Amino acid sequence: MSVNANDIFIVGAARTEFGRFDGEDNELAETAVRGALADCGLVWSDIEFAVGGTNGETKPDNLVSRLGLTGLPFVTVKNGCATGAVALMTARNGLIAEDLNVACVVGYDNHARGAFNVSPARYGLGDWYGATGMMVTTSYFALKIARYLHEHGISQRTLGYASAKAFDYAQEHPYAWRRKPVSVDEAMDADMINDPLTRFMFCAPDAGAVSLVLARGSKAYDLCETPIRLASVALRGRRPGSFEVFSPWLSPGDRTSPSIDAAKAAFDLAGMTPADVQVAQLQDTDSGAEVIHLGETGLLAHGEQEAAYRNGEFEIDGRLPLNTDGGLLANGEPVGASGLRQVHEIVRQLQGRADGKQVPGAPRIGFTHVYGAPGISACTVLISEGAQ
Amino acid sequence: MNIPVGIEVVDSTLFSSVDPVVLAGSMCEACGAHVFPAMDSCPTCSSLDVTKVSLPTEGTVWSWTTQHFAPKPPFRTDEFAPFSIGYVDLGPVIVEGWLVGKTEWTIGEQVSLVLAKAWTHEGAPVFTFGFEAVT
Ligand SMILES: [Zn+2]
Repeated sequence: MSVNANDIFIVGAARTEFGRFDGEDNELAETAVRGALADCGLVWSDIEFAVGGTNGETKPDNLVSRLGLTGLPFVTVKNGCATGAVALMTARNGLIAEDLNVACVVGYDNHARGAFNVSPARYGLGDWYGATGMMVTTSYFALKIARYLHEHGISQRTLGYASAKAFDYAQEHPYAWRRKPVSVDEAMDADMINDPLTRFMFCAPDAGAVSLVLARGSKAYDLCETPIRLASVALRGRRPGSFEVFSPWLSPGDRTSPSIDAAKAAFDLAGMTPADVQVAQLQDTDSGAEVIHLGETGLLAHGEQEAAYRNGEFEIDGRLPLNTDGGLLANGEPVGASGLRQVHEIVRQLQGRADGKQVPGAPRIGFTHVYGAPGISACTVLISEGAQ
Repeated sequence: MNIPVGIEVVDSTLFSSVDPVVLAGSMCEACGAHVFPAMDSCPTCSSLDVTKVSLPTEGTVWSWTTQHFAPKPPFRTDEFAPFSIGYVDLGPVIVEGWLVGKTEWTIGEQVSLVLAKAWTHEGAPVFTFGFEAVT
């Protein structure tokens, strides 16, 4: 097999357990980086280019004070839920543009308990919006899925299937936060937070870090037996007609979505279609988000979700194993780490060394998708070319 | 805008009239897009040629949810009780607001604009806008 000089591969991957963390944010990040380096037999001084992302207050580029003052260029990114994908994209671009061979990316966060607190002014909104109780992320998710279920004739119980699936995967995943199984009935009967979403249908902010080592061209096969090719990474923002958080108004007519655009771009760049995907990660900030994103990314036709969950299509031996580490529902959302967690899980699945349940039959093609405020989405296509 | 003496609202720029209650949006002269609250540029086509307009006061529920827990500050209330929020299709624009009078709704249901008490300030009610079912 020939390797294109500018092909970018993931050769090392590591993550911390997600959940509550009492130490410093940088400790988490350092643990992940050292894990990723060990995974491919490198040391920090081998890294030629680094990118770090967090949505907290610490400075990722100051990680060099723990990892080593090697003088390397270290770029910091901060793009909400897309932080991980933007870090990957930046590292890829850095390797190609600077004619370098090895890069490291790290994403981490250590959020306080409870829903994110946001100020209206940060989103260009008047104080009235927060004061009257509309600046609430859970109500946004509820309003969005309520409309989606209505438009596509999907039952509320579908949301229960999504939750039960997530916690079922998580109970066997050593790094997931919430590993206690939840049945469909338990998910449906739990306290209502925002109709139609119950307590078991939302993820919560928590702590965690993920790091990946990237290599360019044939160097990848020197460092790793089964490097995973980053076939594409695409980032898109919202267009008129999208339905985003903290929107006092929506335009009537056809709905658009940055997820639709980012997924299409990622598939096109990789020369793939949604039908090629053998293991996937979708942003499941709430159960409804997973249902919507199945349709928006093209992995399923709108309205097919309910039957697909009922038929077990997203289970480990199903047609499309989905969020096989428990997704955000079971891992929580340390924003800066979440997108790289998805990539980490897909890499491990494609290498046949999943931390939790392993997709059978040696899957070759994986897909990841993140989505978040203020209307951004990023997707990747990851391909195993096999051992060389 | 003319606010009648004795009626205090959460933000006067939201209204083109308080009695009777009418919301103030803006319309883009270039592409026709309507937004709420009024803006001085068009987020659809980026034109600066926008005009303030009064929005329709009747519409249908486009989506809804009921808020079962008290939001964190800056949410303000005298005493929390579960309340409904929805998007209401007014025709040229879909507006987010309170749905008042009940906590179970149906998409497509007819509603009309009303003033609703948000909280009490120095003994006097402060109003926001909401939509109630048309009976
Ligand atoms: Zn316009």
